[in-house]
Amino acid sequence: MSDQKNGTPSRGEVLKRLREAHGTTVERSQAMMKEQKQMQNAICQFIRETPKTVPEIAAEIGRPTHEVLWFVAALRKYGIVVEAGMCGDYPLYQRAKEVQV
Amino acid sequence: MPENTPNPESPAPVEPEEIRVGVYTCHCGGNISHVVQCERVAKMVGKLANVAVSRTDPSFCSDAGQAIIEQDIKELGINRVVIGACAPSLHEQTFRGAVTRAGLNPYLYHHVGLREQDSWVHASDEEGATEKAMRLMAAGVAKARLLDPLDPIRLGAEKQALVIGGGVAGLRAALDIARQGIRVTLVEKSPFLGGRMAQLESIFPTDEKPRQLLHDLIQAVTAQVGITIFTQAEVTGVSGYVGNFSIQVTQHARGVSPEMAEALTAACTQETPDPFNYSLTRRKVIYQPYPGCYPAAPAVDWQHYDGQPIQVNGKSIVLQDDALVHELIAGAIVLATGFDPYEPRQGEYGYGELSQVITLPQLIRHMALVKNGETLTWNGHPVRSAAIIHCVGSRELDGVHEPQADGQVNNYCSRVCCTASLHTALEMRQRFPRLNIYELYQDIRAYGRGHEEIYRHTQNAAVRFVRYHGDDGPKVIAAPKGDPYPVLVQVKDYLTYGEEIEIPVDLVVLAVGMMPRQVDDLVNMLKISRGADRFLLEAHPKLRPVEMAVRGIILAGTAQGPMNIQESLAAASAAAAKAASLLSLGKVELPPFVARVDPAKCNGNGACVTACLEEGAIALQTFVENGVEVQRAVVTPANCTGCGACVGACPNRAIDVQAWTLAQYDAMVDAIAMDWPELVEVEK
Amino acid sequence: MSLDNLHVDALVVGGGIAGMQSALDLGDQGFQVALVECEPSIGGKMITLSKVFPTLDCCSCITTPKMSAVAHHPNIKLFTYCDVQSVQEADGGYRVNLVQKPRYVDASKCTGCRECEYACPITVPSPFDRGLGAYRTIRVPFSTAVPQVAVLDMDYCILCGKCEKVCAAKAVDFNQQPEPFEIQASTLVVASGFELTPLGAKKEYGGGKLRNVIDPLMMERFLAPTGPYGRVLRPGDGKEPTSIAYVQCAGSRDTTLGIEYCSRVCCMYAIKQAMLISGALPLAEITIYYMDIRTFGKGYEQFYQNAQAMGVEFIRGKVASIREDDDQNPVVKVELTEEGRTIERTHDLVVLSLGMVPVPGSNTALNLPLGSDKFIAIPAPNASPCATAHPGIFVTGAAMGPMDIVDSIVTASSAAAAASAYIREHKKEAVYA
Ligand SMILES: Cc1cc2nc3c(=O)[nH]c(=O)nc-3n(C[C@H](O)[C@H](O)[C@H](O)COP(=O)(O)OP(=O)(O)OC[C@H]3O[C@@H](n4cnc5c(N)ncnc54)[C@H](O)[C@@H]3O)c2cc1C
Ligand SMILES: Cc1cc2nc3c(=O)[nH]c(=O)nc-3n(C[C@H](O)[C@H](O)[C@H](O)COP(=O)(O)OP(=O)(O)OC[C@H]3O[C@@H](n4cnc5c(N)ncnc54)[C@H](O)[C@@H]3O)c2cc1C
Ligand code: SF4
Ligand code: SF4
Ligand code: SF4
Repeated sequence: MSDQKNGTPSRGEVLKRLREAHGTTVERSQAMMKEQKQMQNAICQFIRETPKTVPEIAAEIGRPTHEVLWFVAALRKYGIVVEAGMCGDYPLYQRAKEVQV
Repeated sequence: MPENTPNPESPAPVEPEEIRVGVYTCHCGGNISHVVQCERVAKMVGKLANVAVSRTDPSFCSDAGQAIIEQDIKELGINRVVIGACAPSLHEQTFRGAVTRAGLNPYLYHHVGLREQDSWVHASDEEGATEKAMRLMAAGVAKARLLDPLDPIRLGAEKQALVIGGGVAGLRAALDIARQGIRVTLVEKSPFLGGRMAQLESIFPTDEKPRQLLHDLIQAVTAQVGITIFTQAEVTGVSGYVGNFSIQVTQHARGVSPEMAEALTAACTQETPDPFNYSLTRRKVIYQPYPGCYPAAPAVDWQHYDGQPIQVNGKSIVLQDDALVHELIAGAIVLATGFDPYEPRQGEYGYGELSQVITLPQLIRHMALVKNGETLTWNGHPVRSAAIIHCVGSRELDGVHEPQADGQVNNYCSRVCCTASLHTALEMRQRFPRLNIYELYQDIRAYGRGHEEIYRHTQNAAVRFVRYHGDDGPKVIAAPKGDPYPVLVQVKDYLTYGEEIEIPVDLVVLAVGMMPRQVDDLVNMLKISRGADRFLLEAHPKLRPVEMAVRGIILAGTAQGPMNIQESLAAASAAAAKAASLLSLGKVELPPFVARVDPAKCNGNGACVTACLEEGAIALQTFVENGVEVQRAVVTPANCTGCGACVGACPNRAIDVQAWTLAQYDAMVDAIAMDWPELVEVEK
Repeated sequence: MSLDNLHVDALVVGGGIAGMQSALDLGDQGFQVALVECEPSIGGKMITLSKVFPTLDCCSCITTPKMSAVAHHPNIKLFTYCDVQSVQEADGGYRVNLVQKPRYVDASKCTGCRECEYACPITVPSPFDRGLGAYRTIRVPFSTAVPQVAVLDMDYCILCGKCEKVCAAKAVDFNQQPEPFEIQASTLVVASGFELTPLGAKKEYGGGKLRNVIDPLMMERFLAPTGPYGRVLRPGDGKEPTSIAYVQCAGSRDTTLGIEYCSRVCCMYAIKQAMLISGALPLAEITIYYMDIRTFGKGYEQFYQNAQAMGVEFIRGKVASIREDDDQNPVVKVELTEEGRTIERTHDLVVLSLGMVPVPGSNTALNLPLGSDKFIAIPAPNASPCATAHPGIFVTGAAMGPMDIVDSIVTASSAAAAASAYIREHKKEAVYA
């Protein structure tokens, strides 16, 4: 909206300003990203070959089931994980073959 | 510049454009794709001749989905569109809009109802449903190849509306339409405005005086420019269509002139049960229902007047009903014909057999007749104990309740009777503190703003609640001789764990539900539909909640279903908004799906004219052909409903309904019946 | 979109089904309308639902075409992701001060391709899925959003610039600032809708603490084809539930919560969800604990009878409390009021049929008088059912108290009629042919 205005600040200036203004959230989000990466990798690693249920994944990686489900749902949404049948009352999830993280 | 200008006598042959069909198989948010394998369908259809692109989407009706279609039209030169989706009634207009925005004629699009015709009815047979979808879509493509561009029928619309019914809903609708600059004629059957609301004394949730509110509303209506009111009037004829209805209104005479009214009323001796008080009292056949009514002048009850002369000042006067007939035109018609309280059957909860059994509307009138400070009596006896039974004539169950006259049970909830009962119980408690009051209910439905408070107040006002089950309702019997109370109500009370109890009472009040008023004549004249509950039926509860399927006919208030006053008012204003949207531009468009005669094939035998069911839709006209006078059928599009009765009658195949031509049907049937095992198998 | 001072006939606040319908009715009559929505997309609560009672139409099949019609209407100007700051009476109408919140995406360039979303490394809970699903810090809010424009949530952004790199349209713009602007309108229509009673409002029910005690909008998402799991699972551990219970009037008709009114829709949505679950999980047992079933609308009683015939179990009882057993199963303690005893029953999943409350803060700028129920007051319900205490300001939909979609649409048209009459009378325009 403001790119037609004269004196548009450079990209560097803009990011610098944002970094200053949002320092704490940026830091917090960076930490969060690290944790998410770990979690996603752990999940994907475990279900690369054999499909597993959420409680199985949770037991393997030592995280609560509800948290694992949330990540599995997110990975499923972006096509990284797919459903692969049922085991009793629990759906099985597997790493999608074609997709790169 | 073209090198040689074409001869105006013989127009240059139009280059037959290459037909490029875009086919879109919609998942319908799962409604279709849960059963039909849409991708397979799309792939198969994509192989058919002329199909340039075949796609699927979770919902083509969404903005993004429509954008895909628009883009294909613009970028791939798609010039015929076939969409397999929900019912055309839902979204044909949506897709016509998208096609038009992309610059294509909106009638170069065909809609296949894959949801209603396939996935919903074959939910348990995925394979069969998928093959059927392929065949339906192939038929759609076959038809699309033969589609011609069409123009809607554009007609001028009268900036005038007719409102039928002068209750609170009709009054509000008339006022709000007129405030938009559209003239209104309000037709009320009875001699006075206000409808059933005038019969109430204090209304929930505000405890306002209903006749005062009506008075204010009527004053606004009569002060508003552009409203004509006919009372004692009925619609006796309708023809035409949206934008141009011709209406005949028959209006009875008031019967007494203003100068003579007082003397005649005083002298009149003939009486009849007063419907204003639900026959609890009698009134003269020259009457005003209540002081302050509008119009104020008394009127003659022609239905009950026996024709005998009335003696005034030594003169003997026979009242004359010189009915007037008014002819009007209107672009839209609002139906606000209201409700009747359910009339219990003889013997239902003792009604008509025990004199102590009355209805809630009767109780409200009866209490209005009891002066403040007096005790409540019935049949001359003081009322010490009264039971109100909920859901009488509502929430009936098949196999439990006796069917109504038409063989159906009233299985709907009338929604106002719970709060009206509680509100009346509270008033009884205030006016008659020592009265024992029982409410026998199934569920208390105090749903509206301020209603739950009334329920709570009633619970705190020493009203006894008894909960019964609908399949095991209360019984009302005469008490054995010598009992202190004349009537017993026997009921299994589920608030005390199913205990059988017997309640001795002086009065039983039936909280009767709502039934639509008898409007068979209007239903027939306007060719409109009623729902299973017999109330007038909206076109779609969410997309067109106050419009009927017949365009230009709009609903307001309890003619559509039970409502309280606030809801009736809101529905009436909504009806006004629809009338204004329809008429404020002064023109309406009708779809072009009407009959078209090919004069080259017509030999003027007139079978079509005989077959046609509509007034003035098709007629023979005389033409001169090669110096010879011949007869040819001619269609008046505005009157044609596109029913196709003429198409079947014509021995020469000279008539087609536009966009549904015989050639198109032939092509569709061929496609559906086509042998194509190789195609289906390839896809497996 | 130009943010120059704009004069319109009507400004509609809120782009749920009620606001959209009011805007369409006014636009169809030729009035100039501005529709302001605080979220990045219009659609309101309705666009998050699965199928809708009583017709069981697929919800997006009803909502998305309306959203599209609003977006394409020649007389409607759509302002999404805008907050109303203040409203003043001015020039016989209202001057409304608004702020366009920064999306950090140029709406005129963005094509909604979602490349940025796929590139973004941060996953955050999506309120569209009631937090149980996820999207990225930059995203198109949901698949049928209108407008189809990405929005970046600065609260979670690490400023890595990956989105900017992948965006072929060069639409990502970190330089955006909140932009104040002003609209002058002859009349306002308030359609700010509702929120659910907070899940944890009634402590005894464990909502918010027990993972398998959920709110009904979560169940709507599970039942929707685009839901977070693509099927009905319980959020505690991903189990497909075989025993599901509904607790009615959870957060309505409850003086201890200060919410004394009935929320009108929860009986019907519970029955609807029960029917949809029966379709999705044919073996599941569904129990509805209730005090009164209020299926009062047109065709609704039949709907209730159908659910009973399908085998949904209706138990009249007061739920006292809910606890969890060792397998995360909610255990419901219920007083059977028809039998006079209290029992405990274990279910896989419990849905609290929460009520409707006004959107917190939605009235701050408008400053309209409220009723005792905290919804916008209607001084004369039996005369002008959509008129607020301020002349020229009308209200519709769930902003005027709990109501379902049919009633929201009817009141929306009704508010439009009141608003258009007001505009014409102001312009002295009611001309008779
Ligand atoms: C016992 C009881 C108590 C109630 N208490 C309350 C309350 O406290 N608060 C509340 O909000 N609501 C209450 N209601 C509901 C209220 O009465 C209705 O909502 C309201 O009267 C409906 O108005 P209407 O205009 O739709 O219908 P009506 O009042 O029935 O008006 C319809 C009008 O159309 C006319 N008409 C019918 N057919 C034709 C025709 N063919 N041609 C021309 N004219 C025709 C009729 O003569 C009538 O004047 C109560 C209802 C009952 C039964
Ligand atoms: C679980 C559940 C299931 C349901 N199922 C059904 C069903 O099947 N059938 C049915 O008929 N009804 C159903 N309903 C009811 C239905 O959701 C509501 O009737 C409907 O959503 C109300 O629409 P609305 O436009 O009034 O409000 P909302 O949908 O809440 O829309 C209000 C809009 O205004 C915006 N807004 C709020 N404040 C501001 C502000 N200050 N400035 C700008 N914008 C603002 C909001 O972001 C929102 O987009 C259900 C409700 C629930 C909770
Ligand atoms: S409103 Fe109450 S009394 Fe009337 S039918 Fe419905 S449940 Fe029965
Ligand atoms: S911001 Fe760019 S990458 Fe993201 S959706 Fe818009 S156009 Fe696509
Ligand atoms: S609609 Fe039903 S569940 Fe909701 S508050 Fe009213 S009675 Fe309770």
